[in-house]
Amino acid sequence: MTQSTIDHYRNQFAAFERNGARSAPAWVHDLRRKALERFAETGFPTTALEDWKYTNVAPIARTEFRRPASSGDVTKDFLEQHRMPGTAQHLVVFVDGRFSPELSSVGTLPDGTFVGGLAAALSSDDATVKASLSQVLPFELNPFAALNTAFLYDGLCVRVPAGTSVIEPVHALFVSTAPVASAVTHLRNLVVADEGASVTVLMSYLSASEGAHFTNAVTEVLARSGSAVEVVKMQRENGASYHVENVRAHQYAGSMVHLFSLALGAAIARNDMSVIIDGEAAECNLNGLYIASGEQLLDHHTFMHHIHPNCPSHELFKGILTDSARAVFNGKVYVEPEAQKTDSKQTNRNLLLSDTAVVDTKPELEIFADDVKCTHGAAVGGLNEAHAFYLKSRGIPAEATRTMLTVGFAAEATEKVRHTALRRHVDAAVVEHLKSKLGSTNVPDIVHGT
Amino acid sequence: MIEIKNLHANVNGREILKGIDLTVKAGEVHAIMGPNGSGKSTLAQVLAGHPAYQVTQGSVLLDGKDLLDMEPEERSHAGLFLAFQYPVEIPGVSNSYFLKAGLNEIRKARGEEELDSMQFLKLLKEKMKLVEMEASFANRPVNEGFSGGEKKRNEILQMAVLEPKLAILDETDSGLDIDALKIVAEGVNKLRSPKNAAIVVTHYQRLLNYIVPDFVHVLVNGRIVKSGGKELALELEANGYDTIKEELQQTA
Ligand SMILES: Nc1ncnc2c1ncn2[C@@H]1O[C@H](COP(=O)(O)OP(=O)(O)O)[C@@H](O)[C@H]1O
Ligand SMILES: [Mg+2]
Repeated sequence: MTQSTIDHYRNQFAAFERNGARSAPAWVHDLRRKALERFAETGFPTTALEDWKYTNVAPIARTEFRRPASSGDVTKDFLEQHRMPGTAQHLVVFVDGRFSPELSSVGTLPDGTFVGGLAAALSSDDATVKASLSQVLPFELNPFAALNTAFLYDGLCVRVPAGTSVIEPVHALFVSTAPVASAVTHLRNLVVADEGASVTVLMSYLSASEGAHFTNAVTEVLARSGSAVEVVKMQRENGASYHVENVRAHQYAGSMVHLFSLALGAAIARNDMSVIIDGEAAECNLNGLYIASGEQLLDHHTFMHHIHPNCPSHELFKGILTDSARAVFNGKVYVEPEAQKTDSKQTNRNLLLSDTAVVDTKPELEIFADDVKCTHGAAVGGLNEAHAFYLKSRGIPAEATRTMLTVGFAAEATEKVRHTALRRHVDAAVVEHLKSKLGSTNVPDIVHGT
Repeated sequence: MIEIKNLHANVNGREILKGIDLTVKAGEVHAIMGPNGSGKSTLAQVLAGHPAYQVTQGSVLLDGKDLLDMEPEERSHAGLFLAFQYPVEIPGVSNSYFLKAGLNEIRKARGEEELDSMQFLKLLKEKMKLVEMEASFANRPVNEGFSGGEKKRNEILQMAVLEPKLAILDETDSGLDIDALKIVAEGVNKLRSPKNAAIVVTHYQRLLNYIVPDFVHVLVNGRIVKSGGKELALELEANGYDTIKEELQQTA
């Protein structure tokens, strides 16, 4: 880490505090300053750190990224293409890191519910936001989270009061237009479900141009007792871009959290996804699918923290790799001594479609309770031979067999998305992506069993 | 139709088939019976071209063409069909997409025009009625979550759609109740014609009450040790395989 990198971000910070960032309350300014100091201490991580051993972020560190002063243009057509078709949804659009009221369309919400931009919630000094922001994910945990917090400005904010269900899913579109060279957005998302509340959120990360950009997002999810929260992330940024996101959920007794990550885009994408299971009989589902091609590097680092007894957690990450792509999966599960009867299952399966693709997969189980059921499994391999033989025995040629089995492999991951409309949207994105990456127009639509 | 001569096959370096000779002519139905582990499924898989089995000796001609030289999909295009003893589940891909893909490849190979979606769905509907399968199975992932009986019925559906010249049924009757068994047998019988042939692998005589074979062969330890007419199946049912094994030992 060179001093000039730190100086660059200090200068950016000074300009940021002078400009648009001023309207925020004093405690936010305070938080940002502390986070900047933290980032100045650590700088960007290097491969010397265990957590970053396989993912070299030097290309991010050596570029002088800047916040665009204003947002670029996004057409209605683009939004039409990316919203969930045929489904009512609260559409919340962010362009180059800023909420766009013109492009957004939030329907009628239950009393006391907020769906919109964080900047607006901050300028009204929303009490829930103040009590939750940066509480789920302390910025000290990760240099990118510290940098994000230093430049914290806008992002998706969802707050659902106790006992309230938001029926239609919330769909946040984070669109980057790369209006300036080396544009960065530090999106800051917050989802708070109070006691017994329920909400479903889809976050689509997209590029509206081919220009390189850097997304450095943080998403905090707070699921209070008895709540049900599903957050699905679809990352489809252009292949020249860098994507880093820290997602962290904190859930309490009897709550149910579903997180899903679909990673398709970016040159380098790093996802840190953690769930703190902080109450009895809370259920945690953390799943994902990554499809890497070309020279892409897609990294998921997950962490599940079992603190109390009787909590099930399920984790399935699947990966498909072609060309010279690389993927990293690191799945940490920590079970505290008090967390008896923990039932935790972690699986990571990778399908390699070329000899030059590489996967580094590592489970990390630290279990300090004795009466638990914790399993993990990792696999890296080619197409299932028995399945391939079955298809071929029905006359299906090798090429089409490969396509069908690849789709099937992906389907086993996407079936973990609970909300039907979201699952359909994820499936469609996967099929579209596979069409271009497998060079086959004949890719079947994904169907799921009952 | 098919001419199998002195067929030897290994799996993991162990010889399972130890010289099989079998000729099936068009219009015939042959039953292969034999104790567990005798090599019945191995024979079926070798004919379909499963890559786990190595043929070490012998030849197989399908309509005069060298079957062993073909890829599994080419064997299917040439008119061979295997109803698996243990059909696998293919997630994510619908039964109907899968079947349409196979059928159109086979039609191409036969020099017929491919069916479009409408034509295919019409055909599929008819065939599903034939095997008494609910329409919803068309849109479910191939065999995923199907019961044992539903999987077997799905195999017969595939056979009915693909209309092979030579169908090999590997214990399609096992695990079926009598009603399902009748449906499966009916499916096979409807396809019976002077131009087609079938090899029915079974453990029990039961199925042969409904699919009456022209010939019955007994496979023991990788060899056909006895062949006869349909009455041989009844004999086996009454006496079990032990009598045959004893006979073998006496002649040995
Ligand atoms: N793929 C395989 N791998 C290892 N052993 C096999 C395989 N297939 C068959 N065998 C062995 O070959 C023998 C014959 O099996 P099989 O053909 O399935 O018998 P049958 O169908 O008559 O019950 C058995 O001993 C079985 O264990
Ligand atoms: Mg068998």
